[in-house]
Amino acid sequence: MGEALSLLPWIGVVWLFGIGLYGIVTSRHFVHLTGCLAAIQSSSYLLLLAIGYRYGAVAPIFYDKKPGTQAVDPVVQALVLTDVVIGATVSALLLALILQLHKHAGTVDPQAMRPMGRAGVADGRQRRGGRVG
Amino acid sequence: MNSVFADPAAWPICIVAGLLTLAGVLLAGAKIVPTLLSDIVTLAATAIAGGMAAVLAMRIGDHPALYWMGGWTPRQGQAIGIAFLADRAGAGATAFAGLMFTVAIWFARGHFAGARNHFHVLMLLFLASQCGFFFAHDLFDMFVWFEMMSVAGFALTGYALRSPSLDGALNFTILNTIGAYLILMGIALAYARANALDFSAVRAIAQGQPDDPLLIAAFVLITTGFLTKAAQVPFHFWLPDAHAVAPSPVSAIFSGIMVSVGLFGVARMVWEVFAPCPVVRHLVHVGLMSLGCGSAVMGAVMALMQRHVKRMLAFSTVSHVGVALIGVGLLGQQGLGGSLLYLAGHGLIKAVLFMIAGIMLSTLGGIDEIGLRGAGRPIWPAGIVMGACALVLAGIPIGPLDAGAQMMDAQARSSGLHGLTLVIGFAGALTGGAVLRVTGRVFFNLGPTSGEEDAAPTDDEREHANRPFAAQLVPVLALLAVWVLFGIVFASGAEDFALAAARDMTLDADFFPRRGLPHVTPVLPWLPALIAMAIASADLNRHHIPDAVYGAFAGASRPAFRMLQAIHDGVIGEYVLWMMAGLVFLAGIAILGC
Amino acid sequence: MNAVDVSSREAQATIARRASVLRGAFAALAVALVVAAWPVMRAMPQFGAHPLIYGDRVNAIGPAERHITNMVSAINFDIRGLDTLGEEFMLLCTVTGGTILLRGGRGEDRRAQPGCVRGRANHRPPDSLRLLCRMLAPLTMVFGLYLAINAVLTPGGGFQGGVVIASALLLIYLAEGYAGWRDALGGEFFDAMEGLGAALYALCGFAAMGLGRPYLAVFLPLGSLKSTFSGGSMLIVNLGVTLAVAGGFATLLIEFMEETRALNPGDDADG
Repeated sequence: MGEALSLLPWIGVVWLFGIGLYGIVTSRHFVHLTGCLAAIQSSSYLLLLAIGYRYGAVAPIFYDKKPGTQAVDPVVQALVLTDVVIGATVSALLLALILQLHKHAGTVDPQAMRPMGRAGVADGRQRRGGRVG
Repeated sequence: MNSVFADPAAWPICIVAGLLTLAGVLLAGAKIVPTLLSDIVTLAATAIAGGMAAVLAMRIGDHPALYWMGGWTPRQGQAIGIAFLADRAGAGATAFAGLMFTVAIWFARGHFAGARNHFHVLMLLFLASQCGFFFAHDLFDMFVWFEMMSVAGFALTGYALRSPSLDGALNFTILNTIGAYLILMGIALAYARANALDFSAVRAIAQGQPDDPLLIAAFVLITTGFLTKAAQVPFHFWLPDAHAVAPSPVSAIFSGIMVSVGLFGVARMVWEVFAPCPVVRHLVHVGLMSLGCGSAVMGAVMALMQRHVKRMLAFSTVSHVGVALIGVGLLGQQGLGGSLLYLAGHGLIKAVLFMIAGIMLSTLGGIDEIGLRGAGRPIWPAGIVMGACALVLAGIPIGPLDAGAQMMDAQARSSGLHGLTLVIGFAGALTGGAVLRVTGRVFFNLGPTSGEEDAAPTDDEREHANRPFAAQLVPVLALLAVWVLFGIVFASGAEDFALAAARDMTLDADFFPRRGLPHVTPVLPWLPALIAMAIASADLNRHHIPDAVYGAFAGASRPAFRMLQAIHDGVIGEYVLWMMAGLVFLAGIAILGC
Repeated sequence: MNAVDVSSREAQATIARRASVLRGAFAALAVALVVAAWPVMRAMPQFGAHPLIYGDRVNAIGPAERHITNMVSAINFDIRGLDTLGEEFMLLCTVTGGTILLRGGRGEDRRAQPGCVRGRANHRPPDSLRLLCRMLAPLTMVFGLYLAINAVLTPGGGFQGGVVIASALLLIYLAEGYAGWRDALGGEFFDAMEGLGAALYALCGFAAMGLGRPYLAVFLPLGSLKSTFSGGSMLIVNLGVTLAVAGGFATLLIEFMEETRALNPGDDADG
């Protein structure tokens, strides 16, 4: 039981990463896809924070605790803070791109976007990218 | 005070932080600074950054030095702060990046009138982040610079704000962000085991526990992320979409240096951190070399199939970077040195080619090979440059590209791999042939086409340069002059430097040492170039080829071409699946190698 | 237009067919990856009970050598300050890139009628909402400042404080509506705040070099433990982060909000 409990955080990481990836693979809306990317990102928060956790330890803030009290790892928390900024920046850029895509293409469905070819879906008109076929 | 700045180990942070400060100030004054002034300031800054790095590479010599930020030197053998490593590999790469950015910004004058000074801010940040990446000696710090570079790239790709460019930028952003999170996961795993982020500290742990699954998994994840940036099969799907639609000066930067950054990251990880693990070495030697071969072959075939010139060049980048990845996978100093030299040579030539594509877009008003047939005759000097570059890509035995290929080949032969010449030759012949074909058709009006192809839909693509043709050609010729300088005048110096940089990067270790072989010239060094010319002329003279012969050939190859085409016409979900497949491939080799 | 029209029934059927193939492939690959991840999960250190050498050392250094009590800030602004430098400029990069992408489509002109999009009502906010927001906005702003100022003591810091300050602007938007909001805020001001804040961070590092110390080394007196002005030049760096983050997020908000601007008759919808 103890061992299973010890594995739980890592299982959670894999699960979050997996559902995020599944969402991206099957997504029909770019904003939804941005959310799925955030799920993947959350799995990296979980992994970092779980690595730095310590049973019975306090937060690494010594304002109301005596310096020297057993505290959890502050390094991973700082890394997560940087990671949050990265996530925010990427989401902001993605949303800006999606907004423009909505204006210019009138759709935000990833399935409708085939930048260089129109082979698979819909009308099957002649593709532009290839010389052959 | 002077002694602080005189220490060459302090130069890397001065370069990076100087560029960053300038970017911040330029953004603050974006409304009031005239564009001409910011052009001049930005050009001067990138040139000075590159020049300083070049001087640094000379001065630091055989004594790579660490510079600990904030004075946090290791205590009792444990690293606590972040260090920048000043060595010839990082400094040389930075100098090269400075050169590429200077020329690209020069060429881009007039391309980004709408963005005003914001374009300069982005370019400065783009360069600063690459420099930080080259010098970083800390896993997480490396990741921060890497991600900053990605963000700059994402924004620049979508600049044109047309539906294809937005879609290309979205693919680019999503795939590379997934790659970035894989890197972060790998860093977290390495931290869980080593309790440190400094390269040397993690390496010390790896020496103690060379078979640790966590470290191996960390390497697999980090490498996958970097290979996504380096656009190696099967992580490459974003690259043709993004390169084809990004503004041409930006494409030149992407192909010239950004893609190589991913490979540089792989090499740093292999040699500076994870080399003590035997499974990692096995993975690099088997896994990365097969991915490199796959990329070299597939990129070349795809390049030949394109008629959109920038997309063709993008696939040729996949192919050539694949060759360079093989050089990393050879696990020897000579192979790595050859790989670095090959990347530099390729970067110069590819940047020139993308700039010529930019000239085609702005003066001819299109980028479609068939649609522009004969349209380029008034600007024939660009055609001559393009033809020459095609021959260099094909591998004529002059210049850094070929010197790097020979170094890699010598390394491969000394570890018993005799087929590498074939792969390099194949990649060169097909990509060179494709570019030669474009040159012949666009600039010399060769190769009449059937009516059916003329009707193929093309997008109305155009870039506005606001500058005469001659003014656009000058930066191109300047870059070509640099190639001549390093390829012909200082050829042996460049080779020695690449070897020295590889020695620094490998920390003097050599798992497959060369056996003092002289440079083996591949059999018939001109052969790939001749094949390239044959391919181009066969394609351009298709109407002279008897229908039976042509039909038989086309019929035999069509299913394979169709399949490749369909794979590359996918949507983002399919690309992500390919990425997962690549991850499974690498993990499988690691597990089987245990 | 390069997007494919997927509204037709056959297109939807094709997509559905492809989606089931994608799901199958995803399942197979995911199983393979989980199998590969299993030995790694087993090899992970014991959760909550393994040595944290790096963290313990930082926890010891912070109060003793820097006289500060928030260890996360000790890492962000001092020990691993270079990461934060990169992070600030990454934000700057996003703001610049986002501005290019959003402004590129509509031009820099801000005179046009704001806040009316066809099909969306543009009511004056109810008085209750306005009262609430007018009360909450200054409080939020003060709370953000509190978080930012006490970075070295208690949880918080320039980044958290900056985000809270920027979000107070959203409350002003709720209270005043977009038109009033836009009149009150100047985009150039926030651009300058962002750029100069980030530059302040980088320059603070150079200042340390000017004093003969390594880049980003802490100078200025360290102060006493648990005092607001402890940590020396970390306070300057923290100020830079606060300015950059507040300015950056404010610029992003403005640029996204500006997208609600109605097009003038003469404007080209495609930019």
